Amino acid sequence: ICLWCFLRPGAAGQGQSTAVCSPSCSCDEDGGADCSGRGLTTVPAGLSAFTYYLDLSMNNITELPAYVFKNFPYLEELRLAGNDLSFIHPEALSGLHQLKVLMLQNNQLKTVPSAALKNLHSLQSLRLDANHITTVPDDSFEGLQQLRHLWLDDNNLTEVPIGSLRHQANLQALTLALNRISQIPDNAFANLTSLVVLHLHNNRIKEIGDNCFAGLTNLETLDLNFNNLMVFPKAIEALPKLKELGFHSNDIASIPEGAFHNNPLLRTIHLYDNPLSFVGASAFQNLSDLHSLMLRGASMMQDFPILTWTNNLESLTLSGTKISSIPADLCEDLKLLRTLDLSYNEIKGLPSLHGCVRLQEISFQHNHIQQIERDTFQGLSALRLLDLSRNEIRFIHRDAFLTLTALTNLDLSMNSLTVIPTTGLSAVSQLKLSGNPQMKNVLSAKNLPKLRSISVPYAYQCCAFVGCDSVTSSSEENDVKKSTGGEDVERISMIMHCSPSPGAFKPCEHLLGNWM
Amino acid sequence: MHIPLFLSTEISGVSSGCQQGGCLTCSDYNGCLSCKPRFFMHLERIGMKQIGVCMTSCPPGFYGTRSPERNTCTKCRLECDSCFNKNFCTRCRAGFYLHLGKCQENCPEGLVRS
Repeated sequence: ICLWCFLRPGAAGQGQSTAVCSPSCSCDEDGGADCSGRGLTTVPAGLSAFTYYLDLSMNNITELPAYVFKNFPYLEELRLAGNDLSFIHPEALSGLHQLKVLMLQNNQLKTVPSAALKNLHSLQSLRLDANHITTVPDDSFEGLQQLRHLWLDDNNLTEVPIGSLRHQANLQALTLALNRISQIPDNAFANLTSLVVLHLHNNRIKEIGDNCFAGLTNLETLDLNFNNLMVFPKAIEALPKLKELGFHSNDIASIPEGAFHNNPLLRTIHLYDNPLSFVGASAFQNLSDLHSLMLRGASMMQDFPILTWTNNLESLTLSGTKISSIPADLCEDLKLLRTLDLSYNEIKGLPSLHGCVRLQEISFQHNHIQQIERDTFQGLSALRLLDLSRNEIRFIHRDAFLTLTALTNLDLSMNSLTVIPTTGLSAVSQLKLSGNPQMKNVLSAKNLPKLRSISVPYAYQCCAFVGCDSVTSSSEENDVKKSTGGEDVERISMIMHCSPSPGAFKPCEHLLGNWM
Repeated sequence: MHIPLFLSTEISGVSSGCQQGGCLTCSDYNGCLSCKPRFFMHLERIGMKQIGVCMTSCPPGFYGTRSPERNTCTKCRLECDSCFNKNFCTRCRAGFYLHLGKCQENCPEGLVRS
């Protein structure tokens, strides 16, 4: 079967027109007439019979009488948006056999003008969004065999117009968003075998039948965001070609095991802003096109999700769970990972991440990690940001940072460190060490040539970075200069920010500590 | 929707003031600052200036997204002249062929250019 592929019509001619035109419009030589925003109350007379594009939007045409477009047999696009239209005579659109695009959005229609639409056999795009439509008669789109794109969003529909959609096998894109639909019955879209996009966001959908998406074999985008769903939409099992799925901002508490087992082509899943407490470990496996997975606040989740064959993931966020360990083979699957955020979990130890060679950002903030081994971050030469703050880290192997040649931001604050290895931190410009009360040694700037900002546990430790003569006794001062190189101290101190900065009231907190 | 040689009032009617029908708040310098309910806000670039325009449908190459708070215009893919959403074209630029919402340089197997 030879299906139609459409080529855009040639561009219009240039320059203002000498074509037949109405004084209320401006026309071009190709048959385009722009009569928008002229305060018109009726369709202007005097337009060419060869008009193929007529823009009457943003006028005051509140009614369309019978046969008002009878002189436009070649019209392909008719814009009537923003006219306060409340009535369209059943014969108003008679004669528009070639009409492809009809824009009726932003008007006052209370129902679909089905009688008027009946003979528009060439119509492909119909905009009825932003009206006050409460009913869609079953015969609304009966004559529209070529209809492909239908906008019914921002109206007052309380249910899916099942009857009127029953014969729309060619429909490819449909939006019913911003209505008051509360449930989707089984087989609601059964005959829409060509549908590719379905928007249902911003409704009141609480319940959907397990078979409500039956028949949508070509659906690629399903938008259920901003509804009241309490149960995971199991009905997506009927959507083998689904690529974009959104159900964020609902009331879903759990994602079951194998949730997406029938949707192998998924690329994006938006599920944030749900009171998730449980996520099945097998929910996200075998999703080889998934690029990003973001799960926050699944507070009862204990097992790290199985991600076998979800091997094109570039960003993984799993935070606010009870996960306590990371699989040792994580990086065998996730070789393309660039950002890893496992903050606010209960992770006690870290496996080696050396397989995730593209990692650029890691956050393990707010876990229970106690030590960093030699190979934990080995080979991560693209890593720029590493946040290990708010853990219980006591020990870091001296070579732990050896290969992190691109690391610029390192946060080790709020841990239990006494010392930190600085080898390998030659690119670090921001270093956070505050909140490690046992770390009392004088730090050395020697291995930190690019440092621009550092926070330390004690003010006196800033002396190694910003030079403070009044603070240290002469002997300590020489040590500081020797270890950091006199001229370096001047150069660093000019562009370095160190906190808590030493001052009159925080000179020797360390010494006082010894006397007590 | 075809691009006529002249721009429709929604675009060409970008006056430097507040005469546009869809404006809720506006300034002479920046045009519309906010739109009446159900209108799409779009920023038109005119030379160095950006003018806010309130429309009932987004200009060619953009699609509208409605939400309870605001209605915005977002760019379609490059190869689309007009689109339903980011991933679904309704009309292609010259040289591309539309099939199931995708603008392709060649028709899929079994289909012919039309």
